[in-house]
Amino acid sequence: MATAVAKKKKVRINGCVAAAQAAKYADVDVITAYPIRPYTATMMALAQMVANGELDAEYIVADSEHSQLSIAHGASSSGARVFTGSSGVGVQFAYELYSPISGTRMPVQMMIADRTLDPPGDFGSEHTDALSARDMGWLMGWSCDAQEAFDNHLLGFRIGEDRRVLLPQMVCQDGFFVSHITTDVELPDTGQVQEFLPPYTHPYPLDPRRPVSHGPQIMPEQGPPLQLERARAMEGAVPVIEQAHDEFARIFGRRYDPWLEEFMTDGADVVFFVQGAHAVTARYAIRHMRERGAKVGLVRLKTIRPYPTDRVKDALSKFKVVGVIETNLGLGSVSSGGVLYAEACAALYESPTRPLVVSFMAGMGGEAIVLKEFYWMTNKMLDAQKRGAIEKRTHWVGFEE
Amino acid sequence: MPAIEIQRQMLPMFPSPNQGARFYNPELPETEPFVPGHRTCAGCGPSIQYRMTSKASGDNTILVGPTGCMYVANSSYLCTPYNVPWAHTQIGSSGSFTAGVAAAYEAMIRKGKWKGAFPNIICEAGDGSASDIGLASISGALYRNHDCLIICYDNEQYANTGIQASSRTPYGGMTTFSPPGPTIPEAKKLFPKDLARMMAAGHPHCYVATASVGYPIDLMNKVRKGLNHKGASYLMVYTPCQKGFVYETPRSIDLGRLVVECGLYPIWEWNPEKREFDYSFRPQNMRPVSEYLKLQGRFGHLHAEHIATLQKFANEQWRMMKVELPAALIRAADAKNLVDMASAEAAAAIAETV
Repeated sequence: MATAVAKKKKVRINGCVAAAQAAKYADVDVITAYPIRPYTATMMALAQMVANGELDAEYIVADSEHSQLSIAHGASSSGARVFTGSSGVGVQFAYELYSPISGTRMPVQMMIADRTLDPPGDFGSEHTDALSARDMGWLMGWSCDAQEAFDNHLLGFRIGEDRRVLLPQMVCQDGFFVSHITTDVELPDTGQVQEFLPPYTHPYPLDPRRPVSHGPQIMPEQGPPLQLERARAMEGAVPVIEQAHDEFARIFGRRYDPWLEEFMTDGADVVFFVQGAHAVTARYAIRHMRERGAKVGLVRLKTIRPYPTDRVKDALSKFKVVGVIETNLGLGSVSSGGVLYAEACAALYESPTRPLVVSFMAGMGGEAIVLKEFYWMTNKMLDAQKRGAIEKRTHWVGFEE
Repeated sequence: MPAIEIQRQMLPMFPSPNQGARFYNPELPETEPFVPGHRTCAGCGPSIQYRMTSKASGDNTILVGPTGCMYVANSSYLCTPYNVPWAHTQIGSSGSFTAGVAAAYEAMIRKGKWKGAFPNIICEAGDGSASDIGLASISGALYRNHDCLIICYDNEQYANTGIQASSRTPYGGMTTFSPPGPTIPEAKKLFPKDLARMMAAGHPHCYVATASVGYPIDLMNKVRKGLNHKGASYLMVYTPCQKGFVYETPRSIDLGRLVVECGLYPIWEWNPEKREFDYSFRPQNMRPVSEYLKLQGRFGHLHAEHIATLQKFANEQWRMMKVELPAALIRAADAKNLVDMASAEAAAAIAETV
């Protein structure tokens, strides 16, 4: 049965359903599900689409996240377009598969709606689940609302399946703040998607007519070339990502900078460096603070793998102070806070005009970062600008005066 | 676009009876999906099984190889002995990766993205993968009834990592994780997981059978029955490992017969249509377990009481198959009628070679 999709239309859906809609528009062949909040709603939506005959796909309820990703690996290796997903500890349960999937160059797509790990194991969003897999060879980035989530899923397939790339994608969105907040989303015309996203064909699938072997055991000296090839695929993804975003803008009329979103950075002295949904609140707070004369702006990291080192360096070097909003846990890390601080600092190391960098542990446990916390963090940055030095590398927001 | 109907393969049975030709059979297909030149040991039971299985399956086949000795010894140095597509997967992913391949072909054929008869999809999992770390993934694949055949090549241990006990290692079996010593003279104290029966009981819609490399035609026919069955099938095959069992390499097929003849490896089929076990397979002879044990260094440390314990276990299996026990086998279950395998010193010397 063919995928039945109506003409371009506006609907009111949340991030989870937006991801499911994108999988439907991409006409995925195999879906593997296992329940864990909050991403479950994506799989619930897809189950209904399959039951209704709106989408022709094998919908597999796996026995664990490890199996979910293994099924995805097997199906992708056979030449199918595959969609899966998870949250929190579920992302971790499947961890073994991340390197084999990228190592065999299978462009599996995984939707992640972030959730705290255990502890605290609450339903709130912390990026630690996905970020712990950031170096496993998957393309990775965060959406900040449902429309962007829908778009990023289509972009993910297009980029990951490109013969120059062939890498899996983790398309991340904050649990609750994106996954369960309903907003207007424009769904495209099927023809637009067909123009943007060609059918998936892998160069070397498991096909009895052209026998190939995937993933044989090798000797140590045969390892480096394979690792180098995977590293080059990640580097080679950079121009493909830019090209895909240009094509996306041409076909769908929405233009995104694939790497960074800058908000009110003109004339700014201090900026927040953030990923995901908290940018939405941050924009609101920044408007307020600008009205009160604070020269504050926002730089949102849209793609963390591959990491846009030079773009981050050039963008952040313009300012006096950078405040990294972590929303992740890097226990004993460089800043003894989160892992994003080190990513920002490393990019700035080669800059002749390095700003001060301070890290904020905010939004932990999936709590909302409220306006007064943005004001507090802005004051910390302005203080540092005045003094010409940071007070300390990491502030736990809400635990200090 | 209407869904395209999926054509399934239907392979004919080999005419020879179960006991069949031992080393040569003119009926065998010429195709060699599993070619020589790999690095497996002389007399390797799993690789004998691999060759028979893939011959029975033919060229329209996809093989899945979870980590195990059939992964490491076969696919060394970026070379593999497979003339059909083969993919490695994680040791815990045997059932799940295979399910993914089957699901992909269901969808791709139905949606017109791949044309041809549905391929034979076979997973070759070692007993470590099948009875321990990948058990849930295989149960999931059987439960969901993907059209595939999952084979447990059962060498009763983790051989690839240097002979460690698995849930399939027999009572009394010496491995590096279950060595004999003054406190634990019998080595492995636990009895093996009744894996194939678990699979039949828990997934009664599946074709499930046990087989041994000692009976090649029976094995190949069961492979074909499993492949012809629409849905999931499961086969557990006795495949001796000379490295771990410590025996003379030309005796792999002998062991494959002896283990059945002494009742330690019951050969049966689960019929999913009738929902009943078929115990009609009968070996030509019945023997006491000591005749099987004495050929293997891994049992060299056993005392009379341990051999009697194994004989009791074998006798229970015969009874389970509704076979009347000869008096000799009942006598052999009494330690008074048995002697120790060897001195502790002799057994320890063998243990060093493992």
